[in-house]
Amino acid sequence: MENIIRLANISKAFAGQKAVENISFSINKGEVVAILGANGAGKTTTILMMLGLIKPTDGKITVFGKHPNQKEVKERIGCMLQEVSVMDSLKVKELISLVRSYYPNPMATEDLLAITGFEKRDWNKRTEKLSGGQKRRLNFALALAGNPDLLFLDEPTVGMDITARKNFWDKVKSLKNNGKTIIFTTHYLQEADEVAERIILFNNGAVVEDGTPFDLKNRLSGQSISFQGEENISLDIYRKLPHCLEAKKVEGRVILLTDHADELLNALFASKLSMTQIEVQQGKLEEAFSELAAKKEVM
Amino acid sequence: MNIFFMQAKAELLRMFRNKYYIFWSLCMPILFYFLFTRVISTPEENQEVWKAHYLMSMATFSVMGSSIMSLGIKLVQEQTEGWTRFMKTTPLSTGTYFAAKMLAQTAVHLFSILVIFIAGVLINGVDLAFLQWITSGIWIIFGSLPFLAMGTVIGTMKKVETASGISNLIYMALAITGGMWMPIEVFPSMMQTIAKWLPSYHFADGAWEIIRGHLPNGSNFLFMIGYLFLFMLLSIYIRRKQEAV
Repeated sequence: MENIIRLANISKAFAGQKAVENISFSINKGEVVAILGANGAGKTTTILMMLGLIKPTDGKITVFGKHPNQKEVKERIGCMLQEVSVMDSLKVKELISLVRSYYPNPMATEDLLAITGFEKRDWNKRTEKLSGGQKRRLNFALALAGNPDLLFLDEPTVGMDITARKNFWDKVKSLKNNGKTIIFTTHYLQEADEVAERIILFNNGAVVEDGTPFDLKNRLSGQSISFQGEENISLDIYRKLPHCLEAKKVEGRVILLTDHADELLNALFASKLSMTQIEVQQGKLEEAFSELAAKKEVM
Repeated sequence: MNIFFMQAKAELLRMFRNKYYIFWSLCMPILFYFLFTRVISTPEENQEVWKAHYLMSMATFSVMGSSIMSLGIKLVQEQTEGWTRFMKTTPLSTGTYFAAKMLAQTAVHLFSILVIFIAGVLINGVDLAFLQWITSGIWIIFGSLPFLAMGTVIGTMKKVETASGISNLIYMALAITGGMWMPIEVFPSMMQTIAKWLPSYHFADGAWEIIRGHLPNGSNFLFMIGYLFLFMLLSIYIRRKQEAV
């Protein structure tokens, strides 16, 4: 697997305040990675460092094997950042052709206009007259203007309504199928779970977990039950049991995620399924998860 | 090169679509010109010279305004709205971005000069030699440089409100104290001494020299170039400091 991004022992402090501390990870070609964490966990800081917009206090970042500030890197990336509006006094179409002109192999204008999802009459609208949601969609199109191999999306769906959100993730999924590498931040576990194949969980400026959504839910959900089960039983049987959130088989062992281990164990015994070497595990990431959960309640 | 021209074209479109530009840089100077040469009587030398003199005052006033204000305020706006940050993630270099802005700005200044000169001919039948029109035009474009550099200093401010307030204040103060609105000879002698150290006075004075059949004098050049370097250094210094984060 080709490493597209590599972070080695990265730390960043703002005026002595640690924002990110000693993080290391690498991202492979074609991966879709969610950076998950509560506000202030260090997600955006990390994205901005990968984009070369802020310098790490310590450590080294390479993108496509080069320093993130190099032109060759910028020609292959696209990004959608928070709190970025669009250049004013230009029409939608004019802005799209302007940004396209920055790149050697841009995406076709028609495709980009289609990505905005705007109606034809809005193509000639001045950008300052667009609604907040429309600006986000235009930002997304601009992120794709250079037909990038690597896409950064920093909390991309903030300010989008449900339909726009769905269309947005559908488009991201199709980009993923085209082999693009995509990194996005979110504080919605659900978004990360649906779209990403890998989640990097941040808490207080450190990476506390890095794995598949399943692994993460396993540890986040508080508890899991694992055992040596019968060979030929479909996992769906377990999934139908009360308090079973997810079921998976790893090296012959069945792992069930649960929000109530006692009840699920009772149900397992009652259903008389064969189980040996039963283990019950407590989640390790409760702190990070409770911060995320608290965030969700506010939203 | 294509990037540069696309960027300059976009900047040009944006400037012409700016209502403030049309008002401050075209309507105001022409209105003032009309008032001070046709309505209010002025105790100046030869009336014909005064009409050409005040035309140069207004042309420099206009170009100074769009240099300081349009450029400065737009820069702050782009910064606060995050657009500057987005552009840093694209292959567009900061150099190209600034160069395109300067080219667009210069094109707009040429347009302002042309419109104001034509207004002078239409309102007062100002009659200058062809070479005088051309050299004064060139002088005004050259003299806009220190004010553009000042615009980039304004452009380092954090808030659009501050930038717009301060640049307005500087613009008006420079215009009045530099003798663009009324000749500095009517000022008290101390004010006249101060005026001779200001970039606005030397900017306009260079053009006043031209319509009187001279060339801008050495101190005009010296002050323009001196202020250009001063503001460039200041702008670079502030930007470096801000980037250090």
